Amino acid sequence: MAKVTVDGRTVEVPDTTNVLEACRAAGVDVPHFCYHPRLSIVGQCRMCMVEIEGVPKIQASCTVPVRDGMVVLASSEKALAARNATMEFLLINHPLDCPICDQAGECKLQDNAVAAGLPVSRTVEPRRQFPGYDRTSIGPHVIADMTRCIQCTRCIRFCSEISGTGELSLIERGGHAFVWTHEGKELDNAWSACAADVCPVGALTTKEFRFRKRVWWLDKARSVCDGCEIGCNVSIEHRDRVVYRFLPRVNLAVNDFWMCDYGRFRAEELNGNDFTRPVLRKAGTTRETHWGEALDAVKAAVDAAVSKDPASVLVLGSARLSTEESWLLAQLFKGTVGVPHVEFHADLGPERRIKNPAVPGGWLVGREAAPNSRGAEAAGVARAGKGSALARLLDGSYTPDVLYVADAEFTSRVSDPEFILALCRAKTLVVHGRRTNLLTDAADILLPVASLAGKEGTFVNVLGLVQRFQLAIVPPPIVRTDLEVLLHLGKRWNAFDPQWTAKAVFERMKGTVPGYAGLEWDSAGLVGNDASASPTSAYDVLLERRLANPAEILAAVAEAAGTAGGEK
Amino acid sequence: MSGGANTPVETLPGQPPVGEHGALSCGKELSFSPGAEARFARLLTRYPTKQAALLPTLWIAQEEWGWISREAVDYVATRLGLSSAFVWGVVTFYTMYNRAPVGRHLIQVCTSISCHLNGAEEVFHACRKKLGDLKPGQTSADGKFTVVEVECLAQCDKAPAVMVNGDDHARITLENLDAFLSELK
Repeated sequence: MAKVTVDGRTVEVPDTTNVLEACRAAGVDVPHFCYHPRLSIVGQCRMCMVEIEGVPKIQASCTVPVRDGMVVLASSEKALAARNATMEFLLINHPLDCPICDQAGECKLQDNAVAAGLPVSRTVEPRRQFPGYDRTSIGPHVIADMTRCIQCTRCIRFCSEISGTGELSLIERGGHAFVWTHEGKELDNAWSACAADVCPVGALTTKEFRFRKRVWWLDKARSVCDGCEIGCNVSIEHRDRVVYRFLPRVNLAVNDFWMCDYGRFRAEELNGNDFTRPVLRKAGTTRETHWGEALDAVKAAVDAAVSKDPASVLVLGSARLSTEESWLLAQLFKGTVGVPHVEFHADLGPERRIKNPAVPGGWLVGREAAPNSRGAEAAGVARAGKGSALARLLDGSYTPDVLYVADAEFTSRVSDPEFILALCRAKTLVVHGRRTNLLTDAADILLPVASLAGKEGTFVNVLGLVQRFQLAIVPPPIVRTDLEVLLHLGKRWNAFDPQWTAKAVFERMKGTVPGYAGLEWDSAGLVGNDASASPTSAYDVLLERRLANPAEILAAVAEAAGTAGGEK
Repeated sequence: MSGGANTPVETLPGQPPVGEHGALSCGKELSFSPGAEARFARLLTRYPTKQAALLPTLWIAQEEWGWISREAVDYVATRLGLSSAFVWGVVTFYTMYNRAPVGRHLIQVCTSISCHLNGAEEVFHACRKKLGDLKPGQTSADGKFTVVEVECLAQCDKAPAVMVNGDDHARITLENLDAFLSELK
């Protein structure tokens, strides 16, 4: 450990820390562009300049390792002058197009210009142009605009060091340098949108989110991607009950700083409900109904079947349900009603991977296409394997009277008509559904449910970590979450109270579900909310501190404007 | 090469037209001839990593094919286990890799200070006018000549200096320019 004093505050940091991180540990956020905790250090943006006592020249703090007893002057006059000069150089060629730039609001250049730069520009020369390399698609998900690029090379290093695909390179030299792919190639890898994430300016933006919403309007909910069993921590960014995008949340144990494009662009699939009311289908007639009648019909069908033979009911849970929901499903049907077949099926593949140095082998691999098979198993729902009721239903040797499917998208095979025909052999088919598919079309009783964005609960990921996801957008009226559906259904057997929240269910089940003992709802699995690990937090703090005195900034602007006017 | 607002818009040495930053295609698959292959194999023994051998390998490629095409970049990248983008980044960093086909005689006129003081500018312009009013970097219609302006050729004592392909020529003035060019033909 090394003791480092930054602007009079002493902190103790590991010997391998660089000065920039030591400053951050001391609560001093040194502005920077090219430094990223997971990318190699190149020290080429020259923004993180600090003064170090005993060293004659100012230093780029990202490139200097700490030394015991080091005294850093991060906000000295000399350091600030150097950083201001860097800002001025960067702004010589950066277009003043913030009003039409999608990065505005989360742009490090904009933040630093506001926080540390000069209030007016001294340049009169036309800005550098890159004809043919501005507002141009560079890959399936990313649009590049090289007029905005500040050559920090984060994206290049991401592609060579994290994704390992090396699509990007710095072309040309000096003032003409720009980032591009080799002719005829695209920025196309499984994590390509992360290159846009690490871009501190608007040079790389994602096609899917571009011009959809100003970032400062977005509300954020801490959630977990449900694309595969890795369970990347995401921020669901939403506004007015519409989900606009996922951004990865930093979780050093799971997804580190990254997430894959597949998961990221599932975000907008969370929007919309095709069904606004429960639907009953009987002898060719279809009618919408209210929850009371729909759930009574479910109970009547289940009771009738169970009185004959409990094995004539098959309950299919899902690895896409939260553990709380799976637990309710198991408690209700296995416990209260006494149905032996409560099973789930999770699709295998395609394989998803996330680079994370904390994981042995360096890569976290997700093989199952659902987020919570471990939670479902822990909650008492059985995995449907060979000889399971689901397998026998599919091979024709078993025909249930009632088939209760708690997730209409539990497998990709729901778009396979033969698969649906097999499920339809059940006399009564009950389905929780959100989007129209063959299974919801075939359902006798269709119960409209909310998407991941409308729910809260916990998932257990591939590492066995319990991760909680928060509610982002309230579901449309009448539509219920799976949890509410099961609670209301359970009330008909006097098993549950519909007033229970996900938290209440969590508290009830945590003593009996393996892996949940001792967890607290409020802290469970929200590791990714550790703001100190976030690379963006530095800027938030910086802005907060600098803007604490708006009068000072206004005075500076007025003074600079006065000087400029005087020169004319 | 960006065609920036304050950059004179002209074609530069052995390089594609302004605005074309991507590697041009030569339209065919490339691979080293046996001679180049042998040089390449020797080369690899002299460097600690394959990446370190990139610059000389690109020289072999340029000597082999005259210029660095898109296919040449891909070929060199494959041979050295690098990404094509990285190789292209290196090619564009340096000015002496030709990014478009050049004439049989690449006439490089030095216009740095000693040569300049000895009339190199006039020599340069006279040279390109005599060869068919070529623009700097342009190749003559018969494919024989490309004239470019270069920085110091380390022949200041014999200024104005001109280099044709790899060969130095000293004291090329307006007086002996015709004789010098006729030798090339």
